[in-house]
Amino acid sequence: MDIYTILSQVLVGLSRTVILFIVSSGLSLILGVLRIPNVAHGSLYMLGAYTAYTISKFFGGQDLGFWVALIGAPLFVALVSFIAERCVFQFLYEREHLMLLLLTFGFSLIFGDLVKMVWGGEYKTVPVPKVFQGYILLFRHLHLPLYNAFLLIIGPLVAFLLWLFVNKTKMGKISRAAAVDREMVGAVGINVSWVFGMTFVAGCFLAGLGGMLVAPTISVTLGMDHSLIMESFLIVIIGGLGNIWGALIGALIFGLTQSIGILIWPKFGIILPYAAVVMVLTFKPKGLLKSTW
Amino acid sequence: MVKVEKKKLIAAVLVIFLLFPLILPRFYVYLTSLIMIYGLLATSLNLVLGYGGIFQFHHCVFYGVGAYATALILTKTSLHPIFAFIAGPICGSVLSLILGIVCIRLSKLYFGMLQISLGSLVWAIVYRWYSFTGGDDGIHGIPIPEIFASTNGAFYFALMITTVSMFVIYGIVNSPFGKTLQGIRDNPVRCEMIGVNVRLHQLLALTISGFFAGVAGMLFVVVDTTVFPELLFWTLSLEVLIMCLVGGWFTFFGPMLGAGIIILLRTVVSTYTVYWALVLGIILTLVIFFLPNGVLGFIEEKFGRGLKRENV
Amino acid sequence: MFEAKGLSKSFDGFMAVSRVDLSVEKGEMVAVIGPNGAGKTTFFNLITGILKPDSGRIVYKGEDITGLSPYEIFRKGISRSFQIVNVFQRLTVFENVQLSVLSRENKTWDLITNASKLYTDETEKILEQVGLLEKKNTVSGFLSHGEQKILEIAIALGGKPEFMILDEPTAGMSPEETVRCMELIKRLREEMDLTILFCEHDMDVVFGYANRIMVMVRGETIIQGTCDEVKCNRLVQEAYLGLSDE
Repeated sequence: MDIYTILSQVLVGLSRTVILFIVSSGLSLILGVLRIPNVAHGSLYMLGAYTAYTISKFFGGQDLGFWVALIGAPLFVALVSFIAERCVFQFLYEREHLMLLLLTFGFSLIFGDLVKMVWGGEYKTVPVPKVFQGYILLFRHLHLPLYNAFLLIIGPLVAFLLWLFVNKTKMGKISRAAAVDREMVGAVGINVSWVFGMTFVAGCFLAGLGGMLVAPTISVTLGMDHSLIMESFLIVIIGGLGNIWGALIGALIFGLTQSIGILIWPKFGIILPYAAVVMVLTFKPKGLLKSTW
Repeated sequence: MVKVEKKKLIAAVLVIFLLFPLILPRFYVYLTSLIMIYGLLATSLNLVLGYGGIFQFHHCVFYGVGAYATALILTKTSLHPIFAFIAGPICGSVLSLILGIVCIRLSKLYFGMLQISLGSLVWAIVYRWYSFTGGDDGIHGIPIPEIFASTNGAFYFALMITTVSMFVIYGIVNSPFGKTLQGIRDNPVRCEMIGVNVRLHQLLALTISGFFAGVAGMLFVVVDTTVFPELLFWTLSLEVLIMCLVGGWFTFFGPMLGAGIIILLRTVVSTYTVYWALVLGIILTLVIFFLPNGVLGFIEEKFGRGLKRENV
Repeated sequence: MFEAKGLSKSFDGFMAVSRVDLSVEKGEMVAVIGPNGAGKTTFFNLITGILKPDSGRIVYKGEDITGLSPYEIFRKGISRSFQIVNVFQRLTVFENVQLSVLSRENKTWDLITNASKLYTDETEKILEQVGLLEKKNTVSGFLSHGEQKILEIAIALGGKPEFMILDEPTAGMSPEETVRCMELIKRLREEMDLTILFCEHDMDVVFGYANRIMVMVRGETIIQGTCDEVKCNRLVQEAYLGLSDE
């Protein structure tokens, strides 16, 4: 195992981090503001990937399809979540966490079966757009697939936009205030239900975006949501519930330990990220960064 | 008077159950065994969830590990089967204690989320350790001691163990420990202030609960003679949570009833459509909206015993 | 009997409690007063082990109890009630008090006995003393606010305490309820030979019932003394009584 193998595995881990970050920052946003442990988040991620497949197929696998999907798939997911939020979730915000967890689980079951109805059980593939086929040569033996390079650019970009949204827009500021004290925000005459709804939709948009971005790198299949949602839960916990930068750090820890783990112990490398999580929580039971709770 | 009636009711139900194998076709006997197993599993979960207020989201880990422990001893060793039947519950409780120690320092939802994630790790290990656990194929045709091997034999075995377990859990719920647990559920800080070591009590509750989950897992091996990784997949855990919810999780027999309802519904729905998950999701949403205290909770409320604990 | 020496606690640089000294003799009824945010509840949390002090020592009956857990402190004979209602909402009134007795008797690990038969006499006696016996089978979440506050005290009594710490026992009560509650506390103190430390907003209550008063402002003690000494103190009048007169 030479240094190049390790470095390229680190790069793979970083690309994985981007996906994990995008999905779990959405989860964290919803957890922080709405206090919903959204199990359906994984299903929305899967829905994003399937929608990307359909859009890409509609354009005959052309590059244009990819770009349309990049915008269209997350928007479609956001629309679906908007409908779910307005029709069901908004009436139940005051319920206990356990009820909310089960409710979102119910939705994940429904989404899962709907995806099965619409797309069937076979594997789907989304082609990597032609501009991103090929490699960049970083060092002598260190290749980076162009699509991964694209992901490595998208990740920080999303983080930056999210930072802008949370810190610079009125919506973001209100939602942050609502996370700390929802009654107060209601008392100063802001429609809390609407803020919550929009935050929920924004979080789900991120899930859809993550699913769309991951689609060209894997085979899109039923059940792809199951492992991801567990990983996202862990990332959000070690980062600090509701803290978006925590989600970034958590995703980094998780993505890197995961890829290194697979390299050194292919069969049970999956244990490494979990061990890292337990270590972090032993010293910081509330997560690395300050939680909004 | 109510008490006497309750006893009569339980006795009557037991007698009817005893007669089941004589009057029902084999498939329904098997189905009843399954209901008892999942009912026991849900009840053991409810001990920590409804009575303890601990968010044990991934309870099936202990069920699955109990089942695997039993199955592995029965297939891979020549030990007396009694060891297999004991090993299941022991493994369940030990694992429950270990996960409990890791997670218990975290507050409610944190606990649940970490627990469900660590449980998934256990699943991943079982799933990948092909040489030991059979990977995603699981283990089939597990040799069961002859007296329990038939459907009816397994049924009576399950009935006996479930009944005993239910009595024991009932005793625990009404013991000083059970009361303390309920106190911790309602108000851990106050409990600490009246001299209760909250965490140690919670850990014991988790261990007991893991033990009975292991018992359920062991029974599953006897009834089904197979094990597979789905037994400890997190979606099954949430289904068990749904059983507790549907039956009523502030009632003792609610989870058992919920298991019956869910399993019967699944059997019926599955004959018509492959989209059982969709139906379950819709039922769940409706229950959360209209029956948040579950069926038994609703009945107790309507035909009031005067104690509407659920609405507090 | 009880002594706190130089207790301090800060949160993120904010001194909530700063070098507070207090000693309480057996049989006394001591009041802590001060405006909102003066650190009274934090002070009580320090004494009862919910918070760990940054510095200072707490001595009870000659024994250093600084840094012990709440449940250990309870077992030394210090019981406390809370400002906000803090009962076991889903348990019955009887079970609430019984739980406290069970805990004192170290029975909480008992998995076998049927709890409903244990310590019924003692529990019912406590309920009778506080006047909640008729409601013993009511789920406590359904009691009125005043009754829940009384139940709060009853739970604290279950530990057979010698030293009771009551955090605003009459908060949120109507004037009549307040009088009844304070009379109850007074009677309990005599009947059970209790030493009591309490904090309270209502000045009439404080001056009517306390032997001794400690005044806290912004985390610091400004004066300790008898009712008359406190009433006459200029600092107190400015910092506290003046405010409440406005």
